[in-house]
Amino acid sequence: MLLAIDWTQLAQQTVIGLSAGGLWALLALAIVLIYRSTGVINFAQGEMAMFSTFIAWSLINHGLSYWEAFFLTLAISFAGGIAIERVVIRPVERAPVLTIVIVTLGLFFVVDGAARWIWSSETRTLPNAFSTRPITIAGVAFSIQDLGNIAVSLGVVALLALLFRFTKVGLALRATAGNPEESRLLGIRVSWMLALGWGLAAAMGAVSGMLTAPALASFDQNLMQPVLLYALAGAVLGGLESPFGAVVGSLLLGVFVNLTGTYVDWIGTDLRVPVAFAVILGVLLVKPTGLFGRPSARRV
Amino acid sequence: MSRVLHLSAALLGALALAAVASGGGTSTPGVTANEIVIGGTVPLTGVASAYRTVGLGAAAYFRYVNAHGGVNHRKIRYIIKDDQYDPAQTMDKTRELVEQDHVFAIFNSLGTEQNQATRGYLNAIKVPQLFIASGDTTWGRDYKQFPWTIGYQPNYRAEGTIYGRYIAKTAPKSRIGVLYQNDDYGKDLLAGLRRGLGKKAKLIVSTQNYDVTDPNDQAQIAKLKAAKANTLMLFSTPKFTIQAYAYSRQLGWRPKVYVNAVSSASNVMGIATLGNGKKQTDGTISIVFIKDPTDPRWAKDRGIKLYRTVMKRYKGTNPSDVYNAYGMSVAHTFVEALKKAGKNPTRDSIMRAATHLNIHNDPFVLPGIVVRTTPTDHFPLDQARLERYHNGRWLSFGGMFRVR
Amino acid sequence: MKRSLGIGLWALAVVAGLAVFLLMPHLVSDFHSRDLASAGVFFIAIVGLNLLTGYTGQISLGHGALMAIGGYTTAALVVHEHWRDVWTIPLAGIAAGVVGFLIGLPALRLSGLYLALATFGFAVAMPSLLKKFPGLTGGSQGLSFFESAPTQITGVSGQVTIFGHSMTQAHFLYYLTWSIGIVGFAIAWLIVRGGFGRVFRSVRDSEIAAVSSGVNLARTKTVAFAISGVYAGVAGALLAIQDDIVSPLSFTVLLSITILVGAVVGGLGSLPGLVFGALFVQYLPTISTHVSTRAGVPDFVYGAAIILVMILLPTGAGGLLRRLARPLTTRLYTRP
Repeated sequence: MLLAIDWTQLAQQTVIGLSAGGLWALLALAIVLIYRSTGVINFAQGEMAMFSTFIAWSLINHGLSYWEAFFLTLAISFAGGIAIERVVIRPVERAPVLTIVIVTLGLFFVVDGAARWIWSSETRTLPNAFSTRPITIAGVAFSIQDLGNIAVSLGVVALLALLFRFTKVGLALRATAGNPEESRLLGIRVSWMLALGWGLAAAMGAVSGMLTAPALASFDQNLMQPVLLYALAGAVLGGLESPFGAVVGSLLLGVFVNLTGTYVDWIGTDLRVPVAFAVILGVLLVKPTGLFGRPSARRV
Repeated sequence: MSRVLHLSAALLGALALAAVASGGGTSTPGVTANEIVIGGTVPLTGVASAYRTVGLGAAAYFRYVNAHGGVNHRKIRYIIKDDQYDPAQTMDKTRELVEQDHVFAIFNSLGTEQNQATRGYLNAIKVPQLFIASGDTTWGRDYKQFPWTIGYQPNYRAEGTIYGRYIAKTAPKSRIGVLYQNDDYGKDLLAGLRRGLGKKAKLIVSTQNYDVTDPNDQAQIAKLKAAKANTLMLFSTPKFTIQAYAYSRQLGWRPKVYVNAVSSASNVMGIATLGNGKKQTDGTISIVFIKDPTDPRWAKDRGIKLYRTVMKRYKGTNPSDVYNAYGMSVAHTFVEALKKAGKNPTRDSIMRAATHLNIHNDPFVLPGIVVRTTPTDHFPLDQARLERYHNGRWLSFGGMFRVR
Repeated sequence: MKRSLGIGLWALAVVAGLAVFLLMPHLVSDFHSRDLASAGVFFIAIVGLNLLTGYTGQISLGHGALMAIGGYTTAALVVHEHWRDVWTIPLAGIAAGVVGFLIGLPALRLSGLYLALATFGFAVAMPSLLKKFPGLTGGSQGLSFFESAPTQITGVSGQVTIFGHSMTQAHFLYYLTWSIGIVGFAIAWLIVRGGFGRVFRSVRDSEIAAVSSGVNLARTKTVAFAISGVYAGVAGALLAIQDDIVSPLSFTVLLSITILVGAVVGGLGSLPGLVFGALFVQYLPTISTHVSTRAGVPDFVYGAAIILVMILLPTGAGGLLRRLARPLTTRLYTRP
């Protein structure tokens, strides 16, 4: 029975799943960061990441080197995230959940529309930070890019962990997320902490876009739309409050979606999205805090 | 009393005169003394927006024609509406064109499902659905049921048949893997491939499909490689074709590739080569019927010189995009049909002209290709040559296939 | 005295509304009648969603998928079973109501953002699910009435005759949609005023409190989902009838977002503003195209408008109406 399984195929499809999950991980991270610091799901996260990718492309097009453009885009996205929080989210900071959901949906259209307005919709490419030369080990092929994407995600998680644990800003961010009212009493400028959260998330989204575009070989304004649901599913699976969970959850989701697609013929490549939806539903019903989330008391 | 009667009679008489003078008989929508209005839907935005130049190229050509007097002293006004490749929006926008803009005919609308959505409606109200930008076989095949509809480009089934016949003859021991888009366009190409292979259809070892809304086709390529295919048919749109090359390379796989005409445009192949190296794209085979503006072979060609002039002077975008040349070819054909439709064209007369085409002087198609239709042959373009990609250029080889 | 004045004002508003409804097609072109009919589809879905989100407090980003159930039920019956398009509407509503009920079951365990996420996922997954059963749904191609069953289209010849009165197909669609809309509105109003309405609101305001006062939470939530599902199904059926085609692309997550935006902009928990909400989501994209047809501008304007409304008028048009009506009626009621 064991010999009947094509181990090479299994390993190869697992690697492909990890590669796909690695792409979703960074967007999932951005979503988790905003959820953790502001309690909001930012449905426009993908479009913001796409917009950042176009900024990077423009900078490279104007002659900057790849890394110059990369870091400048990070800075611009960070500032942009803060600006968006100040202008669009702040007025509805204390509004009910539904209002903020609608605002992020409106933001989706604003950012998407802006990206189509400013840049025409032809197919573009972004240079790659990592080599796509194939490496084959034991019949399983992958590339440095696959490893690189996962490494970057884990690296960002590590940076975030350092930020949250060892800096005053990080401490303030955590306090704000857990208890905004008490934090205000303690003198923490809660409003600015929220803005900082959005800025960081926007920067992570920018990295996500700049890695996804070369991984998908070409990009246009539709770049992140298929990714959003997978990133949400990965974040939910890992735990909406856990950055580490976001990465692990995305990787696991990538493998799960790919293996079910490979070995269950009926699912094949047609039902990948419904599988992701099923994961979201399953996790929320069984253990809403995900694999790595801490169960919290429900506020009445 | 009599004065009132006289006045009323005069008024009535004047009204009657005015009614008669304003237009004897029925007037054709979209046709005035100095203008012909046509319209179509093209995905200007959305997942398929790469094809918008099919419409924009045609629009540039019409501007050129108008600048030189138009047709029978009428300028052509060509309205393009964005349907975002969504058949429900196609229906919506087509209705707008017919009922609000009162177009003479629907022209050069893009997409297979998109035009299928509107075909029944247009034929029911007898509005010409001219020169559909889609290679589905049904446009030319089902004319008895839908006499107001006609396609243009060589159809997908025929294209697949060419590949099948060529492989069966020149590489009868291939192991073929097929990546196809999960819709009529992809399935038509696959059906044609099977037909062309005939008895050798079992050379196909694996078929994998993808959906336009999928982020990528990485898993599908891996499965095709795992099936040990050494020939890869890419019946996919540009984005997924580029990815197919990328993922093949990342898997260390270098099969013999056949790419369908829709994705064979030079800028698409250029991106694929840039990311993955010449070795991955060299040797790719496709069919060709339009002159590629980036092909140095046509540098001094009169047709391409005209193309460049039109693109420059009449606001064309991205001159190296071959879809512009396609758009100009179909616009050129429409102009010829319009000329044949008479001094006062009607919808009947344009359909008659469209089914009696015999154009030998299309500047944008390959030399030797004739745009021809008859009442029983509703396929305007049915000739193509094979071409091979090498060192960044497409080179046609072999003879002219007549495809059906 | 006060009561009769209040009732008098309401009666006036109702009569005025009915007059506008009846006369509108004669004031606008055929083409615009179609646009208004389309707004009517949104209106019906919005009224249903309002019962769920506004009155019961459950966020659903998946009502476009429920509309898909209704729309595809209609299309399948017309194309495969050759039913007349309009007679499929009740079944479409029931089918979507059943699916709504089924969604209501897991919704019991979810609330707020989690429910929004789950329903969002459902909406995104719906096109793939539709394409998986091509025999029934026509796959990615969808089902076209014109191609497969033209004789089942009411008004395919351009004219429709009802009770001896002849009208264009566009006018017929307008009257059909808004008549159903008015009836649906009235039913929703009765539900809201009645026992169920009180129960819904108690769940919205505090689930724990509701349970402790004896409300059967499970039954309430699933009933709310089922009822709003019926509305969405009817709306989806009317959408299919208006377009004469359904395809997976007609029912993407964008539709779900549109319905929710319409409900919120119209004003949750209140019925009068919902007409405005429907007109908002129908006409804002069109108006944005008039600002500029350059790619991206319509979306940008649409999104900006949504954000502005949420910031300036979080209770939507309904909230605004209530605020305006209050000083009006107080002035009538207080003695100088």
